[in-house]
Amino acid sequence: MDNKKSINDLDISDRRNFFKRTAALGVTALAGTSLIASEDDHAIMHHPEWGQKWGDPVTKNRYGIPSAYEHNNTRRNTKLLASGNYRASIAVTPIHESEGIITPNGLFFSRSHGGTAHIDPKEYRLMIHGLVEKPIVLTLDQLKRYPSVTRTHFIECPANGGQEWRGPQFNSLQFAKGFMASAEWTGVYIKTILEDLGLKPEAQWMLAEGSDNSEMGRSVPIDKILDDAMIVWGQNGEALRPEQGYPVRLLLPGWEGNLCVKWLKRLDFAAEPWYAKEETSKYTALKPSGKAIQHFYANEVNSTVVSPSPEKPWTDLEDGDIVEIEGLAWSGMGTITGIDLSFDGGNNYVQAKIKGLLLPKSWTRWSYMHTYKKGEVLLLTSRAMDDAGYIQPTIDEEVSIMGVESVYHRNGVETWEVTPTGEVNHVQVRTPGGIKDV
Amino acid sequence: MFNTNYKLIATASVLSIATLFSAGCMDDGATPTKTTKANTATTIASIDGGVKYPVIGDKTGPYYVNNQSNMMKINNGRVPTANELVAWDKDVMPDGTGLPEGSGSVEDGEEIYEAQCVMCHGDFGSGGGGYPSLSKGNADELQKTLTNNRWKDPEADGPTRVFGSYWPVASTMWWYIRDGMPHTKSKTLSNDEVYALTAYMLNINEITIDGEEVDDEYVLNREKFLKIKMPNRDGFEPNIDGPNALKDVRKYYENPANFGAKKVNPATRCMKDCQEKSVVVTRVENGGISEFLPPMSVVRDLPKKEASDMGFNVLKNYEDNCMPCHVADGMGAPVTGDKEGWAEVLAKGMSGVYKNALEGINGMPAKGGASVSDDELKLLVDYMIDNSK
Repeated sequence: MDNKKSINDLDISDRRNFFKRTAALGVTALAGTSLIASEDDHAIMHHPEWGQKWGDPVTKNRYGIPSAYEHNNTRRNTKLLASGNYRASIAVTPIHESEGIITPNGLFFSRSHGGTAHIDPKEYRLMIHGLVEKPIVLTLDQLKRYPSVTRTHFIECPANGGQEWRGPQFNSLQFAKGFMASAEWTGVYIKTILEDLGLKPEAQWMLAEGSDNSEMGRSVPIDKILDDAMIVWGQNGEALRPEQGYPVRLLLPGWEGNLCVKWLKRLDFAAEPWYAKEETSKYTALKPSGKAIQHFYANEVNSTVVSPSPEKPWTDLEDGDIVEIEGLAWSGMGTITGIDLSFDGGNNYVQAKIKGLLLPKSWTRWSYMHTYKKGEVLLLTSRAMDDAGYIQPTIDEEVSIMGVESVYHRNGVETWEVTPTGEVNHVQVRTPGGIKDV
Repeated sequence: MFNTNYKLIATASVLSIATLFSAGCMDDGATPTKTTKANTATTIASIDGGVKYPVIGDKTGPYYVNNQSNMMKINNGRVPTANELVAWDKDVMPDGTGLPEGSGSVEDGEEIYEAQCVMCHGDFGSGGGGYPSLSKGNADELQKTLTNNRWKDPEADGPTRVFGSYWPVASTMWWYIRDGMPHTKSKTLSNDEVYALTAYMLNINEITIDGEEVDDEYVLNREKFLKIKMPNRDGFEPNIDGPNALKDVRKYYENPANFGAKKVNPATRCMKDCQEKSVVVTRVENGGISEFLPPMSVVRDLPKKEASDMGFNVLKNYEDNCMPCHVADGMGAPVTGDKEGWAEVLAKGMSGVYKNALEGINGMPAKGGASVSDDELKLLVDYMIDNSK
């Protein structure tokens, strides 16, 4: 009944088109083999257990959890990216299973320098002081009294892909690109708070310091504070997860995840930067000149094919199947303006289609429709551009400037190889002698 | 009535913003540079080399904003007490701001290191167990390896980045030891102990102060500390010091060639025959890094219920909490499987072994830092003993 009603609701021309399309599809579908099944499907021919008995009462799982069948959709870690006991370590997001541009809170990548702290919100305090006319201390409730803003941004560890400067290391999308995740964040612009506190003219830098075991701190230039820096407490419509700094973290849209200090306890304004451990010993990018880039803020324009991927191969595809190649693009420097897709490892490109919302400093979904030829070998390379004018460099172009020792901020194009059997491998396409002295 | 109030507040607020920006905070060319097609919003160059989206009308980029709050000084919270500021404002800056008086010798530092640090950072700071190395030898010599790069020859020597060879200032070390170390019980060292450990760090990295060798007898204090010049002090770009720092940073990120980025005119980007003919496809070698936890799988089935899931998983907890230190020599902990080592420990009697495990001993924190009950911890101790017979 419901189906009939919805067709009747279409206007005449829509209905005519609908039937025309269905008829055309019917002819091609019959020509294929997939719709002619030789045996009845057991899944259709019997009453499944879940349809014949009571399900769970609504009183179960008052905070919902994923279906038990989804247990493999989980953060993962590897000993090679860990301190001995996983306290100064990372667990990465299964972006091969990601949908849309939001990461569920339980799958958001988790990185800490002294373990995940568990803060009692009643004892939470935020101190803002230094070169301000009026220093203050806020409780969590007082902080949440400021007018809030809600923004969708990815957070990316600048070491995302950083293991692969000298060649591909991970035959896995989760580990090759999963040092990032995306959420809708709710909090207050720091500039809103500063209107009351009054910034002194000589203030150039802000220290953000966490209250965790490692007392993680970073220096932030005042430009970002007066632009879009936020103190956030909300993540995808609920409180931050402990792994994301519950109850409060700093969010610097588009900038290194490490700068988005978690378990935030203190903002200090000063005329000079602090030289904190994570802005000297690490998170600095050594170049062939022997000089290292410090204060390397924004994650540059980047992209990856998500489907297919090593985890999501095309081994089930038949000759002639129409399949959607899907991917993500993102830039910490602005808004994605376009994505090109290559089937030959970056020699020739076509323009892919952007899908869904197009937001600044956010994941952006894109796709391209492809008719699969059984046995074909492809080198799928994606290349994104942003409205700041940047495009992803080739690996040779990036290495020519950065060398291979810089660890951080690698955004050269990424390539998946589709083998004749539909397996997918992570590869890099290089030109011999392609590293040029710049 | 409301409108009148609103205007008054607005006037005051505009003044404060004018003061706020007059300091050169915003002299980065606040004129709109171009229009993006994506959002039909004007963008402005940002310090990071990217763009920012100023509020135009009631929107920033694609987002609507409530402009009312821009005009208001929202008076939340309270002013901290003097004691509260002292308690939390303890950061240590390169010029000595925040660095307290105190002193400690290399000799004392070595003793503290052997008791509290060696189990993770290894003998003489050589590293281990996934924790950072603190020294690899003479700092001045190793600083010269920073130009080593394996970009053209994968077999070449790489750079050595440790405290002595890489870190630009020593205040970072003092500050981090005091607030972040030891990792299992941070913020427990006295200022003198931090001076002693810092002295030991300088010693094993063979760093001199004012031409003087930091030998075993050397006593470091605040005055001497401020004379330390790290070998790689000038090894970083862009400049972030002094009143022109932000200008220097903005200028640096205006040039994509400084930081490995690439700009393009979208209309003329290469779409056909972009590569030279002789490209090479490099693959993940020998399966690459594939020891993932949990193992990679996209299967949608019900999780296997292991007996261990019902109760306490000894093996998993051993691996997470005990193994990192009890698996290899040089960490200071008896190695699982080492009969002699454990026989020595067991000579104290089981109650003593349990007590040490529960309360911590030497570098081992209480319960090894594990979140387990006392009874569960004893299961872990039993497991190690059973596997060391």
